Amino acid sequence: MTPTLPPPDDKTSDASMSRRNFLRGAAAFGGLTALAASLAPLRQLEDFSSSEEFLQKYYKELTPDDMTKVISRIEREVQKEYGIRPHVRDLKPMDGVEFVYCLNLTRCIGCRKCVHACVNENNQSRNPEIQYIRVLKMPHGSMDVEKGDHTYEAKSVPEKGFFYMPVQCQQCQNPPCVKVCPVNATWQEKDGITVIDYDWCIGCRYCEAACPYWARRFNFTKPEIPKERLNPNMAYLGNRPRKQGVMEKCHFCIQRTRAGKYPACLEVCPVGARKFGNILDPESEVSYIMREKRVFIQLKEEMGTSPRFFYYFDK
Amino acid sequence: MSKNTVTQYWLGALTVVFLGLGGFFIVTSAAHPATGKKIPLVDVKFLDRTASRRTYADLVKAGEDLSDYDCYGCHEKGKPPPIRYDADHKIIVPKEHSDVVMGHGSHDRNNLCYNCHNEQNLLTLQVRDGHEVGFDNIPQLCGSCHGPNLRDWEAGAHGRTSGYWNHSLGAADRLSCANCHNPHAPRIPTRESAPAPHSLHGPAGTTTPHESTH
Repeated sequence: MTPTLPPPDDKTSDASMSRRNFLRGAAAFGGLTALAASLAPLRQLEDFSSSEEFLQKYYKELTPDDMTKVISRIEREVQKEYGIRPHVRDLKPMDGVEFVYCLNLTRCIGCRKCVHACVNENNQSRNPEIQYIRVLKMPHGSMDVEKGDHTYEAKSVPEKGFFYMPVQCQQCQNPPCVKVCPVNATWQEKDGITVIDYDWCIGCRYCEAACPYWARRFNFTKPEIPKERLNPNMAYLGNRPRKQGVMEKCHFCIQRTRAGKYPACLEVCPVGARKFGNILDPESEVSYIMREKRVFIQLKEEMGTSPRFFYYFDK
Repeated sequence: MSKNTVTQYWLGALTVVFLGLGGFFIVTSAAHPATGKKIPLVDVKFLDRTASRRTYADLVKAGEDLSDYDCYGCHEKGKPPPIRYDADHKIIVPKEHSDVVMGHGSHDRNNLCYNCHNEQNLLTLQVRDGHEVGFDNIPQLCGSCHGPNLRDWEAGAHGRTSGYWNHSLGAADRLSCANCHNPHAPRIPTRESAPAPHSLHGPAGTTTPHESTH
């Protein structure tokens, strides 16, 4: 009887599994694991979550067919994230329409209802908080915004000795934010609204730095919008949910105003201080205000930005 | 202890460290960046866009109880209710109308009920020239004194509006004088302000003021 030899393979593997080899292998494995783990945050990079979005063309180059696909992708993504089927539209500027906003400083009482109506309408992040409108509390007798305080808390407004000046995107005719954008992700449309394509923005924040009105906001984290407060009436260039790492700002409620409606901040104002309309229509309330009222400023007029947002007084 | 053994112990220890770190990264990679304190959702009362008051016209439209406007349920027809004054010549508001605050005009100038109410027919109002105005047509009444405000209101520059700016797509909903102003005390009352903006890592109102002025 011949003794059976163990298979040669076993013998070699046994021989190679010295302590040194085992430790080498383990070290290599550990190193690779650590490398893989260190790359794990890449999985959270939502920019690449959808190849469709990654390959999407520039907004102005999209054909109507492309846009239909883009919109259905956005509707799908929103439904997946929030469980609500939104109604997303790509509303175009109307012919013969140029929007102008007028704000009556005599009337504003500083209640900040416009701030929150805006957040609710435009699906801004609630945590961290992103708000398009800041209400400055200013001492009587001065128009110096340096004296403004936007963090006031009051049981009862208006407070004696102060007036209130809400500031939001001024929709400049000569917008510095558009000039600095390195990828043309923000531009001025013919109805006067400066829009942002959230799918094209690279989040460099140059526009935020260029804006003299502190009107632009950056999504440092993934925006948090409670499902029950999501507004399903959305526009591509308007209030569709943003993602981490893109800019956003007031767009005169594009999803409402390009459908002929008033902006949300105007409708909620309890004192009627906010007026909005088509300046090319001589019958509109903004044309009337320009003709009849003491329209006193375009904020920081000396910057040469020529805002479409006017502040005026009643008496 | 040979040099080789020392090396092996070092490598072994490093392996354990790497594996531990790898595991730690995997476990923590799912966590979101800390955003500090949880910011409470804003109270829905600050999102309310309905009018602060309801007018006679609103009640008629909604088909609601109009018994407050049934003057001749108590008063006698054809007999104007007398107005009584106190020692300072101020009107004594009868207890049946205790909800009425006499606060129209500074210096108590517009202090006579029949400046607006029609004493001959309490179901209507009147302007000073005796012209009758219905309860559902108050802008005409208010405008008889506040001309510039009526002019602005008619142009859309005074008062609250909602609905459509583009009248070819829909109607604008214009609120009337008494939707915002109490005719007996028309000054808009003060109100609570909605919460101030929260900073990223702290409670409300902690953004430094200089940030607002760049």
